[in-house]
Amino acid sequence: MSSTGMVDERIKKTSRLRTAFIRPELGAIVGVVAVFLFFAIFAGDSGMFNPQGVLNWSTVSAQFVIIAVGACMLMIAGEFDLSVGSMIGFAGMSIAIMSVTMAWPVWLAILLTFAICMSIGALTGTIVVRTGLPSFIVSLAFLFILRGFTIFFPQVIERRTIIGGISERAEGDWLAPLFGGKVGEGFFRWLAEMDIIATYSRGARAGEPMVSGIPMLIVWALVLVIVAHIVLTRTRFGNWIFASGGDAQAARYVGVPVNRVKIQMFMFTAFCATVFATCQVIEFGSAGADRGLLKEFEAIIAVVIGGALLTGGFGSVIGAALGAIIFGVVQQGLFFAGVESSLFRVFLGVILLFAVILNTYIRRIITGER
Amino acid sequence: MKAPLKTMAVSAVAAVALIGGAPAAAEDLRYVLVSHADDADAWWNTIQNGLALGGEQMGVSVEYRNPPTGDLADMARIIEQVTASAPHGLITTLADPDVLSGPISAAVDAGIDVIIINSGTPEQARAVGALMYVGQPEYDAGFAAGQRAADDGITSFLCVNHYIAQPASSERCQGFADGLGVELGNQMIDSGVDPSEVQNRVMAYLNANPETEAVLALGPTSADPTIRALDQMGLAGDIYFGTFDLGGDIVPAIRDGIIQWGIDQQPFLQAYLPVIVLANYHRFGVLPGNNINSGPGFVTADDLDLVAELAGEYR
Amino acid sequence: MSDTVHAPIVEMKDIEKHFGPVIALNGVSFDVRPGECHCLLGDNGAGKSTFIKTMSGVHKPTRGTILFEGKEMRFDSPRDAMIAGIATVYQDLAMIPLMSVTRNFWMGREPVRRVGPFRFMDFRKANDVTMEEMRKMGINLRSPDQAVGTLSGGERQTVAIARAVYFGAKVLILDEPTSALGVRQTANVLSTIDKVRKGGIAVVFITHNVRHALAVGDRFTVLNRGKTLGTAKRGQITPEELQDLMAGGQEMVALESSLGGTV
Repeated sequence: MSSTGMVDERIKKTSRLRTAFIRPELGAIVGVVAVFLFFAIFAGDSGMFNPQGVLNWSTVSAQFVIIAVGACMLMIAGEFDLSVGSMIGFAGMSIAIMSVTMAWPVWLAILLTFAICMSIGALTGTIVVRTGLPSFIVSLAFLFILRGFTIFFPQVIERRTIIGGISERAEGDWLAPLFGGKVGEGFFRWLAEMDIIATYSRGARAGEPMVSGIPMLIVWALVLVIVAHIVLTRTRFGNWIFASGGDAQAARYVGVPVNRVKIQMFMFTAFCATVFATCQVIEFGSAGADRGLLKEFEAIIAVVIGGALLTGGFGSVIGAALGAIIFGVVQQGLFFAGVESSLFRVFLGVILLFAVILNTYIRRIITGER
Repeated sequence: MKAPLKTMAVSAVAAVALIGGAPAAAEDLRYVLVSHADDADAWWNTIQNGLALGGEQMGVSVEYRNPPTGDLADMARIIEQVTASAPHGLITTLADPDVLSGPISAAVDAGIDVIIINSGTPEQARAVGALMYVGQPEYDAGFAAGQRAADDGITSFLCVNHYIAQPASSERCQGFADGLGVELGNQMIDSGVDPSEVQNRVMAYLNANPETEAVLALGPTSADPTIRALDQMGLAGDIYFGTFDLGGDIVPAIRDGIIQWGIDQQPFLQAYLPVIVLANYHRFGVLPGNNINSGPGFVTADDLDLVAELAGEYR
Repeated sequence: MSDTVHAPIVEMKDIEKHFGPVIALNGVSFDVRPGECHCLLGDNGAGKSTFIKTMSGVHKPTRGTILFEGKEMRFDSPRDAMIAGIATVYQDLAMIPLMSVTRNFWMGREPVRRVGPFRFMDFRKANDVTMEEMRKMGINLRSPDQAVGTLSGGERQTVAIARAVYFGAKVLILDEPTSALGVRQTANVLSTIDKVRKGGIAVVFITHNVRHALAVGDRFTVLNRGKTLGTAKRGQITPEELQDLMAGGQEMVALESSLGGTV
C-alpha cells in the first residue's frame, strides 16, 4: 500500500505543461505529424499535395472518419460493432433497390434506409444489453446476416449483385445533394479562372477545375466529429457514455440509464455507417454487394490509433478522427511515395503497434492505471 | 517524455526501411495498372508479370495497384489518386461502369491516356474515352463455352462463382447457360473465396443434385477446390468439367483428364500489350486502329506442354 | 451519543431474507439515528452484504418491516432509496477510475446549463463544487480533471462519501470502506466518517475490523449467521467482547486462549 502513496506524491509534482500535453489524442497527434513529415519528404513532389492529391486523401480519410466517429462513441460506451462494413453494403443496396428497382423517390429511399439501419442498430444493442452477450459475438452475427441479405436481395430481384442507375434517379432530388453534392463550387471555379488550380485539358469538361468543390462526404465528416466531440465532452449524455463504458454497474448504481445509452450508441454507429453508404451510393451511382468489406476493422483500428481503450470508458472523438486521417493518408500516400502497395498493411501494422504502445503509456499517466 | 520520442525514432527508422524498395528515379514514361482484384486473387499474378515484363522491355516505369478487399468504391478512389499523380498512361479494368466511369473519364479529361483491360466491354471503353479495349468479352466467352459443351452433349451444369459481387462473373455463367440453351436458374452458386468453403459447397451441391452433368469454374480460385471436391466424391474424370482461366492446378488437371478444357483469355497480353501500345504511342505516335481481343481460346490436353511450363507465370 | 434527542431515521424490524431454500437473514433488527455512526460487524458470510442490499433497496425483505423517518417504506430499486436519502458507498463499485473526479462526482446527476436550444453540462459549477466538497473532506485535488484512478484507495472512498453527502444523503451506508486500505488511508477515511456524522447524517459503517469500528462507532451491532447478536453502546463493550461476538462466542474464546490472545 505504501507504493500507492509514493505514486500519488510523484504525480502531484507534474507541471501544468505536462498536464496540457498528456491527452488521450497525443498518440494520434504524434502519428499525424510523423505521417505528414514522412510523406512531405518522400512524396512531396509526387502530386500528393496538389489540389487533386489533397482532395483524394481527404476524401478517403473522411470516409474513415465517418465510421470511426460512430465506432469511437460505441467503444467508449463499452461495446463493439463488427457489422459496420456489412451495414454499409446493406444500406447502399437498400437505397438502390428502393430507388431503382421499386422506383420510389430517392429521398424516401434514403430516409427509409436510415430508419431501417438505425432499427437494426437498436436491435443489435437491445440483444447485447438484454442477453449480456459480448457485443463482439452479437455484431459478428449481424456481420453475416446483413452481408447475406446484401447479396441475396439483388440476386433474387435483379439477378445481379450490383444495381446501378441511382445517379439518374437522384437527379433533381432534394435530399440526394446533401450526401452526394459538393460545396464551394463557385470558389473553386474562381480559383481555376485565376489559374491557381489545375483545369481539365480536354474532353467535355475542358477548362473546368479538376477539383470542382468539397464533397459533402468531407462536410459530413467534419460535422459528425464536431457534434460527437461536443456531445461526448460537454454534455450530461456524454458523461453517461463514459460512465456506461467505464463501469456499467457503478453507473447503474447512481442511476445512469446504461442500457439506453448503449442502445443509442449502437444506433449512432448504424447512422454513421448509413451516412457513409448514402454518400457512396449517391456519388458512384451504384450499390454493390461487396461494398464496405472489412470497414469495421478499419474503423476500429482508427479508433484505437486515436487513443480509445478497447474495453471502453476512455477515448476521444478527435483522436479517432486523427486516427482515421492517419489511416487514409497512409493508404493513399504510400502510392505517391512509390512504395509497393502490398506493403500498405505492413506499414499500417507498424503504425498501429506504435500508436497502441504510446497510447497505453499515455493512458497510464492520465488514469493512474498500474 | 523519453518514451514517445523513442517510439517516434523507431517508427521513422522502420518507415525508412520500408521505403527502401521504391524506384529511385522515374523513367521518362510512367504507367499505372489498376485492377479490381483483392489481394488474395492469385490469377492477377500473371497480369503483374506481364506488366513488369512490358515495362522492362520498353524501358518505362510501371506500377500495379488494386483495392485490398476488392471493394470497387475503393478502386474508384485509387483511380482518382492515380489521376492526381499524373502518370502518362492508365491501364485499368472497368468492373462496374457506374462506379468507375466517372473517375476514369476524369483521368482522360485530365490528359492521361487510358486503356481498358479485362472487365468491361469495347462499348463501355469507348464511352469513357479510353484509347482501346484489350480483353475477352465475358458473356461471349461464356456463350462460346456453352456451345462447345452443348456439342459434347451437356444439358445441365453447376457454375461455381467465387466472385459473385462482380457482375462479369455472373455474365459468364449466364452466357454458358444460354450457349447450352438452358435456363441458368439455381445452377449458379456463390462459393466464396475460401478454398475449403468452395470445396464444401461444390460437394454439397453435387450431393443434392446428383444428375448434374457438368461443372463450370470461373478461375483458379474456384477451380482448384472444385478439383479436390470431385476427387473426394469420385467424380473426377467422370463429370464434364470446364473452367475459365489457367493457373493453379488447372493445367495438371487438364493433362489428367479431370478438366476437359480451360478458357484462356491470355491475361499476360492484357497487361503486356497496353504497355507496348502506350509506349509506342507516346514515343512514336503510332496506335493500333482497333480493340484487341486477348481471348477466348480453349486449352485442351493436346496443347498443354508450353502452357504447363508457364502456367501461373505468363499463361 | 444523543439517542434521546433523535428518533431513528431508519428502523428495521425482524427482517428475514430468503434466497430459495437459503435463509440469508433470519430476524435482523437494526436502527440508526441522525448524527450517529452505527457499526455493523460480522465475519465473512454473516449476512452483511444481504443486509446492506436490503436496506438500500436492492433486495426486498421476505418478512419484516422497514421504517424510514417513522413511515413504512418499500423501495423498488436502489434509485428509490437514493432519492429518499439512503446512499450506499460500495467498496469497489464506488468510482470509475478512468473518469475524472468531477465526472465521477456528478455521474447520474450532472448539472446542466442551457445555451439556446442546447443543454450542456455545466463544468464550471461542477468543478467548483467538486473542489470545494473535497476540500471540506480534507483532500486538496490537483485538478478536478484528475482521473479517479490517480487517487489513492482512501481518497476514492472519500470522493464517494463526499458525493453522497453533497447530494443530500440522510443515511450513508459504507460497505467495508477500510478493508483494502493501509494504515494512514484508513485513518483518513475514519476521520471523514467522523466529519459526516458531526454534520448530522446517520452513518451505517459495515466492517469486520473491531478496531476501526471502535474508533468512530457510537453503537455496535454484531451479525452472525443471519441474526443480530445484540447492540451495544460505546463504552459498554470491550474490543475482546466484540471480537468474540463476531466469531460466534465460545469457539473463539477457546481459540483465543490457545493463541495467547493475539487474534
